[in-house]
Amino acid sequence: MFKAIVSAETLTSALDSVSVLVDECKIHLEEDGLEIRAVDPANVGMVDLSLDASAFESYDADGGLIGVDLSRLEDIAGMAESGQLIQLELDEETRKLHIQIEGLEYTLALIDPDSIRQEPDIPDLDLPAEVILEGKDVNRSVKAADMVSDHIALGVDEGEEFFYVDAEGDTDDVHLELTQGDLIDLQVGPAHSLFSLDYLKDMNKAIPSDTEVTLHLGEEFPVKIYFGFAEGQGQVTYMLAPRIQSD
Amino acid sequence: MSDWTETYRPTTLSEVRGNNKARDNLEQWAKTWDDHRDAVIVHGSPGVGKTSAAHALASDMGWPVMELNASDSRGADVIERVAGEAAKSGTLTGGEAGRRLVILDEADNFHGNADYGGSAEVTRVVKDANQPIVLVANEFYDMSQSLRNACETIEFRDVSKRSIVPVLRDICRREGIEFEEDALEKIAADTSGDLRSAVNDLQAVAEDTDRLTVDDVVTSQRDTTEGIFDFLDTVIKEEDAEGALRASYDVDENPDEMLNWIEDNVPKDYRGAELADAYEFLANADRWLGRVRATQNYSYWRYATDNMTAGVASSRREPKGGWTRYGPPSYWSKLGRTKGTRKTRDAIAERIAEREGTSVGTARREILPFLSAMTHHCTNRDLTVRMAAVYDLDENEVSFVTGSGKDTNKVQSIVEDAEERRAEAVVEHSGSAFFEADDSSGGTDTDDADAATGSADSSADADGQETLATAGGGDEATDSESEPADSSADPDDAESDDDQSGLSDFL
Repeated sequence: MFKAIVSAETLTSALDSVSVLVDECKIHLEEDGLEIRAVDPANVGMVDLSLDASAFESYDADGGLIGVDLSRLEDIAGMAESGQLIQLELDEETRKLHIQIEGLEYTLALIDPDSIRQEPDIPDLDLPAEVILEGKDVNRSVKAADMVSDHIALGVDEGEEFFYVDAEGDTDDVHLELTQGDLIDLQVGPAHSLFSLDYLKDMNKAIPSDTEVTLHLGEEFPVKIYFGFAEGQGQVTYMLAPRIQSD
Repeated sequence: MSDWTETYRPTTLSEVRGNNKARDNLEQWAKTWDDHRDAVIVHGSPGVGKTSAAHALASDMGWPVMELNASDSRGADVIERVAGEAAKSGTLTGGEAGRRLVILDEADNFHGNADYGGSAEVTRVVKDANQPIVLVANEFYDMSQSLRNACETIEFRDVSKRSIVPVLRDICRREGIEFEEDALEKIAADTSGDLRSAVNDLQAVAEDTDRLTVDDVVTSQRDTTEGIFDFLDTVIKEEDAEGALRASYDVDENPDEMLNWIEDNVPKDYRGAELADAYEFLANADRWLGRVRATQNYSYWRYATDNMTAGVASSRREPKGGWTRYGPPSYWSKLGRTKGTRKTRDAIAERIAEREGTSVGTARREILPFLSAMTHHCTNRDLTVRMAAVYDLDENEVSFVTGSGKDTNKVQSIVEDAEERRAEAVVEHSGSAFFEADDSSGGTDTDDADAATGSADSSADADGQETLATAGGGDEATDSESEPADSSADPDDAESDDDQSGLSDFL
């Protein structure tokens, strides 16, 4: 059983942050909220999303699992104007999701969860450096790096205590330093890793510019990007495997 | 009921059966990967365990797997995004030091638009990779040479009967099925080296019985595609009518192609009367193919195939033997070579047809041959010149009709003469119209004079030549009523008067 009413903004931001990595996903309908975990086909990026029951206007679920085509669901959610409410109801018999937006009824055929890529295990990583910054700074870094290269280095300078972003292109380079003062918080540790900009760009799309973003970094290790949405009642954690620095 | 080929898929390399050497090579490749950093191509027939071995390898090495197979869309962009990224990135658990096995299944099969640019992109990915890549393929030589050169190669051979039987025996034990050894032998023999088919066949016959006997093994021989060369041997040398027809069912060619193959190769073995009979049947087959094209009724294909296979086989009058070098049909290459000649022929035929009021086909079939005979090698020079003049032929075309060389003086002089003749004819046919006009330009022709002096002469209708003013306004009388000042002085204005009033009308 699943029945929920949610604001259009909350639903779209939740879906957007998953759809940047995968086309289809499994949604766990837990008693205390929604949970989505997915890894992209190349096994390079991962998303772990939870949306608390309190983020919904009303929420009622008992632990089911559904598989959805994200682009379809996004399209439907896009029909709602901002401020409108979307009502979701699962028909267990037909395995279809009934969606209502102010009189508009849409019946979405679900996908067999077994046919969707297996959900990843969340790797337990010990990442020494932690950077907390504003979403708009992430956006700015990614945008600048994208002008010159297809990969980006994120790191922390332990001596001078600043967080830096490096992008080296064939001819042009971009370098950005953010010191303690520019950041919300910084825990220094050895950190320098190279990442694919394609992925970071996609992830960046889902990061609201006015939110606090937490980065966990290590030495040639994956990055963990954490941020909240829907007034903190939704949480997204991205993980991105590092590029191998070819010699 | 789950698929036994999945249930009993090997989980470690040591369970991969029948290709011990290839298996060890693969393991060796993986263990030394850090030193050589090459990709590997694993190739072999379907069902011998290539993909299974790759996955087993990954689990042995503890590497996560990224697989792209033919069920994914594999255009250049997808390969770059997925395989490219997977081959250049570390893993989520191990970071940069973590290894990931990239498996590109069916690397020899990139199809059509959906996979556009796929194979070139694979080569690029392989060359830039920082992670181990296994390319799985059936046909080694279907892959580009640059890709083959960039990789190590491991061949998986067909699995021998000796190796298949123990696998089947093992599955029977685990499924709790009693069996007769001979039954397993029969399955193994029937599937000729394809382990996956053997397991599928076993499941098909054993699923509903507790005890498997030889009599249960009724799975028929699998369809195998017969090569076209073997098929030609069958039709031309070996089988009777029925056998030849049956053989055609296993050949992967459509009737049009098959006809070309047979037609081109039959004269290499048949002689005299039997060859004539064979051609009779091939001609029938061709007519049926024509009916298929005309009516789009593809059930006629059966009559075409009957004729070209059974017909040809039954025309054989004496036993054939030995080896013949059959070759691919020359039909298409002949068409390609004769394209220029056919174009010339059709161009001539079109002009003849236009002039003589016949169809192009008639011109080509019934007029052109006579012209050719009459003007053969330009012996009747006068006639040839007249022909060239009438049909406006150039050197190339004269040479085509007469058979004389295009660059010879003979042909060139004929074309020159023909041109002269045409020029004369033009003058003759003009009835001296142009010469007269020149002579009388002084005063006799009032038409010209009127036109030259413009619309000053108000009686413009008299000479049949409309002035601009009358053409635009239609009737000069009405024009002069409404706009007496303008009508003759400004014909442009008058021209647009009909529907649209000018601003000047209101001023």
